[in-house]
Amino acid sequence: MFISLQWLREFVPYTGSVKDLADRLTMQGLEVEAILDPFESIAKIVVGHVVDCARHPEAEKLSVCSVDVGAAELLPIVCGAPNVATGQKVPVALLGTTMPGGMEIKKAKLRGVVSCGMICSERELGLSEEHAGIMVLPAGLRPGQLLTEALGLEREVIEVSITPNRADCLSVLGIAREAALGFGLPLTMPALNLVEDAAAGDAPVDVAGLVRIDIADPELCPVYRARVLTGAKIGKSPDWLRYRLLAIGQRPISNIVDVTNYILMELGQPLHAFDRSLLKGDVIRVAPAQPYLMDAPSITTLDGQERKLLGSDLLIWDAERPVALAGVMGGANSSISDASTEVLLECAIFRPGTIRKTARRLALPSEASYRFERGVDQVGSLFALERAAQLMAEVSGAKVLTGIAMSEPKPWADRSHIFRLERCNALLGLTLTADFCRTTLIGLGCGVDDTDPACWQVSSPSHRLDLEREVDLFEECGRVHGLDRIPAVLPKISKSLESVQMSDTEFGFLQGLKAWAVGAGLREAINYSFVGTEDLDRLNLPASGRIQIANPLSEDQNVLRTEIAPGLLNNVRHNLSQGNASLRLFEVAKAFVADTTSDTSARENSRLGLLVHGARHSQEWPWEQGEADYLDVKGLVENLLTHYRLASQKTVAAYVLEPGHPYLEPCVRVELPGTAGKDEPTLIGRIGRVQPKIADAYHARKDVWLADLDADLLRSLSRATTPVFRSLPKFPPVRRDVTVICPATLKSQDVEAAIRDIRPKLLESLALVAVYAPDANDSGTPTERNLTFRLTYRHAERTLVDKEVDKEHGKVLSGLPQKLPVRI
Amino acid sequence: MNETLKSFLEGLDGLTLECEARRGQACSLKDVEALRVEFLGRKGKLAGAMVLLAQMGPEDKPAAGRKANEIKAALTALLESRQAELEAASTKDDLAGFDPSLPGRRPAAGSLHPITLAMQEICEVLTGLGFEVVAGPEVENDWNNFEALNMPPDHPARDMQDTLYISDNIVLRTHTSPLQVRTMMSRKPPVAVIAPGKVYRRDSDITHTPMFHQIEGLLVDKGVSMADLRGTLTAFVRQLFSADTKVRFRPSFFPFTEPSAEVDISCMLCGGAGHIKGEPCRVCKKTGWVEILGCGMVDPNVFRSVGYDPEAVTGFAFGLGVERVAMLKYGIGDLRMFFENDVRFLEQFS
Repeated sequence: MFISLQWLREFVPYTGSVKDLADRLTMQGLEVEAILDPFESIAKIVVGHVVDCARHPEAEKLSVCSVDVGAAELLPIVCGAPNVATGQKVPVALLGTTMPGGMEIKKAKLRGVVSCGMICSERELGLSEEHAGIMVLPAGLRPGQLLTEALGLEREVIEVSITPNRADCLSVLGIAREAALGFGLPLTMPALNLVEDAAAGDAPVDVAGLVRIDIADPELCPVYRARVLTGAKIGKSPDWLRYRLLAIGQRPISNIVDVTNYILMELGQPLHAFDRSLLKGDVIRVAPAQPYLMDAPSITTLDGQERKLLGSDLLIWDAERPVALAGVMGGANSSISDASTEVLLECAIFRPGTIRKTARRLALPSEASYRFERGVDQVGSLFALERAAQLMAEVSGAKVLTGIAMSEPKPWADRSHIFRLERCNALLGLTLTADFCRTTLIGLGCGVDDTDPACWQVSSPSHRLDLEREVDLFEECGRVHGLDRIPAVLPKISKSLESVQMSDTEFGFLQGLKAWAVGAGLREAINYSFVGTEDLDRLNLPASGRIQIANPLSEDQNVLRTEIAPGLLNNVRHNLSQGNASLRLFEVAKAFVADTTSDTSARENSRLGLLVHGARHSQEWPWEQGEADYLDVKGLVENLLTHYRLASQKTVAAYVLEPGHPYLEPCVRVELPGTAGKDEPTLIGRIGRVQPKIADAYHARKDVWLADLDADLLRSLSRATTPVFRSLPKFPPVRRDVTVICPATLKSQDVEAAIRDIRPKLLESLALVAVYAPDANDSGTPTERNLTFRLTYRHAERTLVDKEVDKEHGKVLSGLPQKLPVRI
Repeated sequence: MNETLKSFLEGLDGLTLECEARRGQACSLKDVEALRVEFLGRKGKLAGAMVLLAQMGPEDKPAAGRKANEIKAALTALLESRQAELEAASTKDDLAGFDPSLPGRRPAAGSLHPITLAMQEICEVLTGLGFEVVAGPEVENDWNNFEALNMPPDHPARDMQDTLYISDNIVLRTHTSPLQVRTMMSRKPPVAVIAPGKVYRRDSDITHTPMFHQIEGLLVDKGVSMADLRGTLTAFVRQLFSADTKVRFRPSFFPFTEPSAEVDISCMLCGGAGHIKGEPCRVCKKTGWVEILGCGMVDPNVFRSVGYDPEAVTGFAFGLGVERVAMLKYGIGDLRMFFENDVRFLEQFS
């Protein structure tokens, strides 16, 4: 909201600087975002006196003027405007001036005549749309004077950010009240001297009897008043009015409309002017669209748009039809035009929620609806009507008919609240005195009854709709005293010693998970939780279970990700486009799936995504070169499981091929054995290579390896494990290697399982130590391969002798070929 | 002294002399080993000399044995010192080509995202002050996100947060404040929690991303005042930024707190001066203050929503944007860089 300092000073005799005002308002809770000079772009324009004006010798439409701009010499200026004439006072842009449109004034020769400046039109100065000729200034001005000074243009405007609770500050008056409060100055309302007129004819007319106001529901419209003006002459507003609107960024339209805007800005009361001659019957009815408009209700607003209505939309009706969307916008059928002479001026209060619903649904926010939504001062609205009628009469030559047509089915009722000083100080942490609080509340316009010193009765003023409760009054006292003067005290937190430790919280676990990933040499990515439908489709992810955003910002952010992959894959695309060819990324984030049993309709699951792409190691010496592959990402997963103690003998993970995965190929399920009483293995997540065709869409020419793991599950599983100490072995081990020649299709895991299944006694551990694929078939694929396992035997209480190891190892050697199609 | 003993002793001394003379010729560890075998081996010279011992009378044996042990020790020492000399020389040769400047075999370096970095730091400070971390869903129902927080439907305060909707009644949480509701609904006071997490708004421009991170703080107990709030936040920002950081409270409005305040801290770049060496400060735009968080005393209506008695307890709440803190702490100028995940950006936070 823009507030002109000049305008403000009409209400409060503030003489300080704009900076001090801005600082004070900010510390009172009205944040001043900027201090502006609205006419900065014409600050250098000066007043010129056209001493002589002659026709250009070479061009009929050009004049050559000698202009006095207060300097020693007259300036020669060539002017193309038809209305330029000797003796005029005109605005002159001197050489070097940059015009509002960005054009710089330079010395020029026009058809052989030198021109040292420009005489400006109103449009060139941004003062109006007038451009038929130059702007002619009042005769009394002094040449050389700055135009802004000569016209009395406002140079100081503050932009205030008004929080939704402070509807009362959406006006010059409101800000003036705050300035008066802040600086201890009196507030003066503009004088009213409305002259009422009996009707044009002989018989005296009272508008109260002339126009009937009919309100369907007092809740929707507690008060509606109207005045009638006759004989208005629609035209341009006087300069002072136009310049004042321009200074706060409002476009002047015509005198009657400008006055409604002026009052809205000055007093915060939205008004509407109807062309009374277009209203049917002298009836104004305030009622919702239903049940009066039955089929396909709509109204054409004054901007020419047809607006579809809901039954709950509040309308203003004449005797026959809707003529305005109450509090939002007038109707085209009754709006003021250049030909209007009869005006019905509406000044009403509407129910905030109703106006808000309509304005939002129709995407029709206006200065009026903005104020009605937040609440307008019902008691103050009468003054606004009177002042508006007076100004309209002044600027349009209209007569204001005697009387007001009105209906106030729900008059303003004072609201009274208790105020306990002790509680106020306890909440604020201050020691405010009763005197201070009383003075402050009275200064705010409250009525204070302190008969009971411990519990006052305070009534809040009609313009402060936000003062609804005792605590609101506390805030006022704190605010006026200065919240910044509240001392800092460290609270004594009484807390149960049983409260959870950081590491036991979800946040703590995920923090630890990220620490693991960093230690594993991965970089953390954070992606938006939403992606585009296309991102999920590209990965062939199922359409069911997706959670769509009803009002997305764009198509590529219209659905919540159901898996962690889409974000990481987008990071691949971005990084490759930037020439970052090797990637080791991780992300910990939620995946979202629709779940009708959830009170939020979604099931949220924290996932850990790992992604490796490109070179396995740094491409610098001494690392061996190679592309990251399955074993790299699987190694990360194995390391993670070990980190969380999920890789012991008992919980050894199985890596199971899963054919037909939507976007991974190969896709390997990472499964932990089922817990007690459950045979079903637990799926921790999946590892796989993004199908090359899909990877191609992310511009990845090399393999993209991913792991997508369930972080919630990891958390619950890891919490159940505790390290258990085992004594260190006292006796030496005996190690035996066995090389198993097996079909290439046989999994290492299966051979390992078979060995364990033979249950050789004394076997302590088993590890694959070599893989060799000697033979290849015609297509180059090995048909067989050799897997060498190292078996470690040990006895806990004595040194083993070869013979007993030979016996156990022999069981393995003879047992394997019986269990599997292998040779030893 | 009898002859046998005499010649035995001379023979032994001769061994020492011979070994001394020959040890210099041993040029490798292998040579040294050969010498050891020659002198000290089972069939070596010392062993050979010991044959005489058997011929000696009992009166000579002790002296001869002592001598033999001395000589054995002397020979061993001679050979070991030679071995040490050779080993030292060989290590020296090995190290001749040693280049300490060659790059090491560096394992890949990982890094936390700067948002996580800032978030963890904030949470550490706050947990140190006694707050407990809680978490909750990012898809929220209207009641938790708005209504229980004193934002009834069709209230203009809802304009403060452009909302992304899933359905009429379900939203992507617009702030971490629903965690206030969830926590108070499930616990009795006193409550001291912080809630870090992702939040969503329908807003995207140079200074807004549709997803960002917040941390919410809530303390409810008997007799909590705004002075406690100020004390907590002062301690917090001083640990987060620097010990001389100043805090400013400006009245503001949040539907779920009353009174509400914006908190500014003295600019960490210019120290609150508003300018650096005569140049206007780019971080605080000459004001000397930087807006850092919003806070206030929990609104009685919120207490009523969650079933707390506003006459019995009071509390404060605050919320701050993590991206903002990360930008201020690490000097990141462009908000959008956070979500591009360019590794050249990420690796700066190793």
